[in-house]
Amino acid sequence: MSVLDTVASLIFYPPIWQLLILGFGGALVVAMVAVWFERKAAARVQRRIGPYWASPRLGGLMHLMADMLRYAFQQVVIPRTVDFWPFIAAPIFGMALSILPFAVTPLTSNPNFWPLPPALMEYSLLVALAITTLPPIFIIVSGWAANNPFTIIGGVREAFIILSYELIAILSLFAPAVAVGSLNIVDIVQAQGLVKWFIVLNPLAFLAAILAVAMSTSAFPFEIPESEPEVVAGPFTEYSGILYALNMGGAYMRRFVFGLLISLMFLGGWYPIVPGEGFILGYALPSLVVVVKAVVVVLAISFLRAIYGRYRLDQALDMAWRLVLPLTLAGILLALVEAYLGIF
Amino acid sequence: MLQAPSRDYSSVLGLALEKAKNALSSKGIVFSVEEGKGFYDIIVEREYLVAGATALKEAGFDHVVSLTVTDYPKEKKFRLVYHLTSYLDYEIAGAIIGLGVEVPRSDRPSVPSLTQVWRSAEFQEREVYEFFGIEFEGHPDLRPLLLTPPVAELRPLRKDFVVREENIYEGVPKSG
Amino acid sequence: MVEDVRIYGGWKDELGLKVVPSKKIGKDLYEVFIGPQHPGSGHMRITVRLDGDIIVEADPDIGYVHRTMEKLGEIRGWIKPIPLFERMAIHDACNITMPYVLAVEKLMGVEPPLRAKYLRSLLCEINRIGAHLYGFAIFGVFLGHSTMYMWAMGDREVFIELAEALTGARLTHSYPLPGGARRDIPADFPDMARRAVNYMRKRLKEYEKIFLNNPVIRSRLEGVGVISKGLAAELGIVGPNARASGIGYDVRIVEPYDAYPELDFEVPVFREGDALARTMVRVEEIKQSLRIIEQAVEWLEKNPREPIVDKYLYGKYPPLHKKIMESEGRAKLLPISAAMKVPKGRAIGRAETGRGETIYYVESDGGVNPYRVRIVTASARNAIAFKYVLPGHKIMDLPAIYGSLDYFPPESDR
Repeated sequence: MSVLDTVASLIFYPPIWQLLILGFGGALVVAMVAVWFERKAAARVQRRIGPYWASPRLGGLMHLMADMLRYAFQQVVIPRTVDFWPFIAAPIFGMALSILPFAVTPLTSNPNFWPLPPALMEYSLLVALAITTLPPIFIIVSGWAANNPFTIIGGVREAFIILSYELIAILSLFAPAVAVGSLNIVDIVQAQGLVKWFIVLNPLAFLAAILAVAMSTSAFPFEIPESEPEVVAGPFTEYSGILYALNMGGAYMRRFVFGLLISLMFLGGWYPIVPGEGFILGYALPSLVVVVKAVVVVLAISFLRAIYGRYRLDQALDMAWRLVLPLTLAGILLALVEAYLGIF
Repeated sequence: MLQAPSRDYSSVLGLALEKAKNALSSKGIVFSVEEGKGFYDIIVEREYLVAGATALKEAGFDHVVSLTVTDYPKEKKFRLVYHLTSYLDYEIAGAIIGLGVEVPRSDRPSVPSLTQVWRSAEFQEREVYEFFGIEFEGHPDLRPLLLTPPVAELRPLRKDFVVREENIYEGVPKSG
Repeated sequence: MVEDVRIYGGWKDELGLKVVPSKKIGKDLYEVFIGPQHPGSGHMRITVRLDGDIIVEADPDIGYVHRTMEKLGEIRGWIKPIPLFERMAIHDACNITMPYVLAVEKLMGVEPPLRAKYLRSLLCEINRIGAHLYGFAIFGVFLGHSTMYMWAMGDREVFIELAEALTGARLTHSYPLPGGARRDIPADFPDMARRAVNYMRKRLKEYEKIFLNNPVIRSRLEGVGVISKGLAAELGIVGPNARASGIGYDVRIVEPYDAYPELDFEVPVFREGDALARTMVRVEEIKQSLRIIEQAVEWLEKNPREPIVDKYLYGKYPPLHKKIMESEGRAKLLPISAAMKVPKGRAIGRAETGRGETIYYVESDGGVNPYRVRIVTASARNAIAFKYVLPGHKIMDLPAIYGSLDYFPPESDR
């Protein structure tokens, strides 16, 4: 076995391929496109041009590249008053855990291209959702470690928001699993088939999921923990350079992960493509379909910034417990009814 | 919605002056009236300031528009006038009546604070305190408002503080 | 020199300034400094003490952009303070210098011709719309509504260009003079103004859709920062903020100046006193200002052009200046105005600026400089509201209240 083969097999080893190359790299591109779309779409509503001059032909897409490079090479200022190790570690762990769900998310029904061995895929939904709950803890840690009134207030707000909206996000994503009777993402997608998508069968859970994702990943009009007019940048106030980029990127990654899960759970995953044999038919095309659906979800969430303002913290929590949680429970009830009727 | 009425300001002002005069004389306060363009100043002695203020507040002058202090170094006095008007009494709304007192010019002049009478005077008294060094006895929170203490120390609005301007032609030869 | 050592809540001082005893922070209170280097504070600082999420105490600390307007006003002659005072609120330039000009006119005993009065009122209303739109823009940012920010800032451009067509300057127009105005309207101005008015009316409907009737924005504003009628009078709140609390007070009505007695307009008054009412007052005021602009433009178009300075002053114009006035409608400043003397006396001039009543007390000792200029701007009088309105609200209400008060630090600090 030559060196090249070793390298190739290492790169195409499914967990690494999916987690690092597709997951991180792909998510980075998606984050870039999402930010670009967010700025362009908002600019369109606001009668501006948006990013443009960095590359007029690409509509200013390179602007975002320049932004990323700037963050990468900016000086990282670490104030004397912070708790050094938690301050450094929190964004890194947060980012790492944000992309970890890619490692358990199948993007095709062909078992050769699953990131995990088929036996482990039985509980993929459970594992993926479990991992998505971890990064917010590090946001709270970073807020606490930065040791500044604004970061602490921001961290506490993050805790409040996460407590209410993570629960809703997870419950609403479980609704399809309840209806199908499986925690295997592949099973759920296969059960949906070409037409029985859960966006139609269970719109309540879908709506709750979108709302909860927007809130819990601090999408722009709902970035209560980072609300600029009162708490500067919330938990990230003291961060600069690459650490700040990790923090902010982590939120986009999380949103993209949730987008993937929503597209698999509610939007029929890789359908209308039925995965076949080989790399192209078995992996490239179906995963492309899933990613495109996920991107649409992320962009839809991004577009909200042009329309809505920011809720007050207590109003957001009020909405969570009084409106969205009952909506989610109704969605689960609907899923139970569907399971009882035996639609699948 | 308020429609613009044809309102004669000078008659309103006259009415307000009558009202203020009655309020003060009913309390037995001695005063003198000075006329300005568009307002009247009622000057009282220092000991009548608080009583006069209370009387005027009862008469309907509910807020301070401007706390105007002028420095007269030649006459060795400050002229401190609370310019008042009314929001709630429509008859005299908008008419400016000043309640003033003459303060001898010394290093640390002081007058009784009227913040307890008119809350709207609070920040303006702080402003006068820093710009003129006039202390207001009984003010709840007498701190400089706009200036930093070293600058407030110079009492910038007193007439003996002279603005020194940079000479932009300094060092430039006059010809050639 | 004084060592300016800051003790908690007061200032240490050796030369006579009072030291305020340090205020103890309660055991469970959390102190947050909103400003001066803070994206949501403007050029000021609000020291906020929090009990959990509730503001217990707020101490506005203003003065970060103080420029000694009152002292500079005493050494610059009578004309030069006009461009100086504009710097307090450059997007409200005509309004903010109007009271000074009115006070000097009272002292000099000159009266501008009716045409000049209309011109000045026209620019004042254009400025008022600009100031309100600026306030909306900042308010939008404070509430996380970036679309409102961009729309209002963009639509403000229409009125800035209108002002530019009238005066030649986008922001600091230096337009009113004691006894007149600087320029007559250009020939294409009436069309331009009418188009701007129609455009703004259309846009206001869109503002209502996206901002004022937006459920999120409404839930942020309704019942927040309520100032009752009594409290507003006690604190001496002015302008749209007072009118939102049910106080029907507008200088244009209580002491009409310029062309306002001739114009047909209404002053909107709301009773609720909350942040939403303060916002709605501004929307209604923009509508009224549009009406005034229409009327003023119509009058100016219909009536023949005449010299736009006071008769007495015009008599002193040299032939060249008279020629320029007749051909271009432009009032050139007389050379003697640099050393102009104003009769002895005291005068108060006031006008309704975009943010409320602004008062100038001008005293002359008959010399070439004003003896004393006391300036109390609208924002300076509204600053006290922070101290008494904020406590009891949540920290996230701070931007909503700040923005709805439309507080503008450079105007307040003078």
